[in-house]
Amino acid sequence: MNLLLVGISHRTAPVDLRERVDFQVRGVADALRSVAGRGSTREAVVVSTCNRAEVYVACDDAAATRADLVAFLSEFHGVQASDLAPHLYDVHGLDAARHLFRVAGGLDSLVVGEPQILGQVKDAHTAAAEAQTVGPVLNRLFHSSFAVGKRVRTETGLGSGAVSVSYAAASLAKKIFGDLRGRSVAVVGAGEMGKLTALHMKSHGVHAVTIVSRTMAHAARTAEAIGGASASPWDELDTVLGAADIVITATGAATPILTRSHVEAVMRPRRNRPLFIIDIAVPRDVDPAAGEIEQVFLYNIDDLQATVRENLARRSSEVARAEAIVGEEVERFGAWFRSRGAIPTVVALRQRFEDIRRAELERLDFKLSTLTPDARARVDEITHLIVEKLLLTPTEQLKSIGDSDTVEAYAEALSRLFDLTEPPVARGTQPAELRGGKVEAFPRNRSRSPR
Amino acid sequence: MINAVPLALYAGALVAYAWHFAQRNPIVGRSASTLLIAAALAHTFVIGMQTMEAGHVPVGGATSAISTFVWLLALAYLYTEMTTDERAMGVFILPLLVALQAIPAIRPGVEDRAAVLQGPLFGVHVSSLLFAYASFALACVIGITYVLLFKEIKAKHLGFFYARLPSLQVLDRMNQRAIVIGWVFLTIGMIVGAIWALQARGGYAAGDPRVQAMSLQDPKIFVALVCWFVYSFELFAARRIGWGGRRAAYLSAVGFAIVLLNFVPISYFLTKSHNF
Repeated sequence: MNLLLVGISHRTAPVDLRERVDFQVRGVADALRSVAGRGSTREAVVVSTCNRAEVYVACDDAAATRADLVAFLSEFHGVQASDLAPHLYDVHGLDAARHLFRVAGGLDSLVVGEPQILGQVKDAHTAAAEAQTVGPVLNRLFHSSFAVGKRVRTETGLGSGAVSVSYAAASLAKKIFGDLRGRSVAVVGAGEMGKLTALHMKSHGVHAVTIVSRTMAHAARTAEAIGGASASPWDELDTVLGAADIVITATGAATPILTRSHVEAVMRPRRNRPLFIIDIAVPRDVDPAAGEIEQVFLYNIDDLQATVRENLARRSSEVARAEAIVGEEVERFGAWFRSRGAIPTVVALRQRFEDIRRAELERLDFKLSTLTPDARARVDEITHLIVEKLLLTPTEQLKSIGDSDTVEAYAEALSRLFDLTEPPVARGTQPAELRGGKVEAFPRNRSRSPR
Repeated sequence: MINAVPLALYAGALVAYAWHFAQRNPIVGRSASTLLIAAALAHTFVIGMQTMEAGHVPVGGATSAISTFVWLLALAYLYTEMTTDERAMGVFILPLLVALQAIPAIRPGVEDRAAVLQGPLFGVHVSSLLFAYASFALACVIGITYVLLFKEIKAKHLGFFYARLPSLQVLDRMNQRAIVIGWVFLTIGMIVGAIWALQARGGYAAGDPRVQAMSLQDPKIFVALVCWFVYSFELFAARRIGWGGRRAAYLSAVGFAIVLLNFVPISYFLTKSHNF
């Protein structure tokens, strides 16, 4: 059994190609059915986000399956294989596991450490489970990747800290006010930047947004664009500021519109209720000295960008810790995956022993026929137990081997010693494997019934 | 030395809380809480044992009062931790618990209750004040964390505390609540104490010099009154003149510093009326 991944991502393909290879268009379930229908794979999961389209499969012949998957991608999306080929990557074996673990941990994301990807990987697994295209190998692989995602989130700072200006502003507001629900926002200036920041605050649940602009018509238009916001004329600026918890200034004014004494005057009737001023205008709208007033928190665009840079730097310093977690989990998964190499041998060995037992019982049938049915059943049971006992230790030993070379050597030796020439597990007899390599013993009720 | 068992557990919890605060590992956090719960349970057991031994709750002497105060503060902190799901404060509370619990661990045994200390009013007096002090300790710690976070946000350097503490608003509200509760119990404790002293002075304890010394001239009583004024001002200032936030946090710290002064050095060395 081999692991294989074929896909494209933001690292290899431009956005227009990624859009054409987006599985969401026709649906992941459709894609999974289509992959499974081609017969080159045993198990398949499709991971599809706006930044990546990846097909993870468990297969027998990696090279042939790779070619088949490329053909599938090209046919399914109606994209020329020659257009696709330079942007595709294929990863084999444990490297495919490492790739998935890095994806789930947010290490392969456009913005390192972004939290959505783990949910998307989980969705991919759920979709494949519903389409019944996952088996023991990919099940184990994906559950290990969830563990990686969870460990990276809880054990490293990879996902912490805001990495965009508007997100940084919102998280600062939350650190000052706690819950943003019930808070009110005033936007001074009717420009695009102010509108975007206000929209972001709104998505965090602030209850009122008021736009103030020198031109009332502009304010009204922006308020309408935000939806559920109100507009106020310029001469009501102080009233609006007095009522607001968060003020976003984004005018095109050449000189500060809010001086220190102006803000002081606004603060007096507030009885020191905190005021968070976000000055995203360039040149600045608020005199920096206003930030010295007790309970006034003033951040301008440079301050916000500095915190974003700090967070990005902190994230990149956490990358090594996250990579270490990925390495540990690849190791763990690898040990399990390699031990699976022993399963066909185990199955063949058990089959061999069982065949011998059955043959001997049949050969001695004429002697046993004088026994009562009860005694015959007992003979059957005892011989079965002897075989089980003989096989127990070798089975456990084989399964506990952690590296594939040793597994191969043992398998080779056992095949020679016990003449296990027949292909142990034919294609399509996978259910035997699913039961953990146990071949159900010689059907006992059959040996019990002949009279 | 029976008080050393909770002391060791408090110390263990302190290490775990500090580790959790630095690393933010949820498993360490849960172990820290578990250790503190174990410490509080052990402490409950110790106080229970002493109660049975002495036949009364051991709050009569300064040392036993400190032990009971530590126990109450641990319970009050555990209550806040469980209701707010916020472990960041532990690393600030635990040093206080460990430092104060060291006193009963070094001076073992329960002081014999002075004969004059009797009646239900005396019990109300002591337990109200201990509970008030525990609330003020919490308020002080919350205030300190408020100032730490406030300074980081003001300085635009969002670092260690920014990532670990709850929001300023939450800290401010927790501080106010702790002050209100503390103030109510401080007021009750002082009034009840005064009533008890008046009754005792005119009645069965007329001959006891300590009861006779119970007046505003006694440092312990005087400083307690100063505390009451500080916290009353804080409550008034927060509501009337907008002294919330950082100023309230500083006042909480000042108030508790006075409480601590009254609780340990004054109790042991200066007071003439409360040296039982």
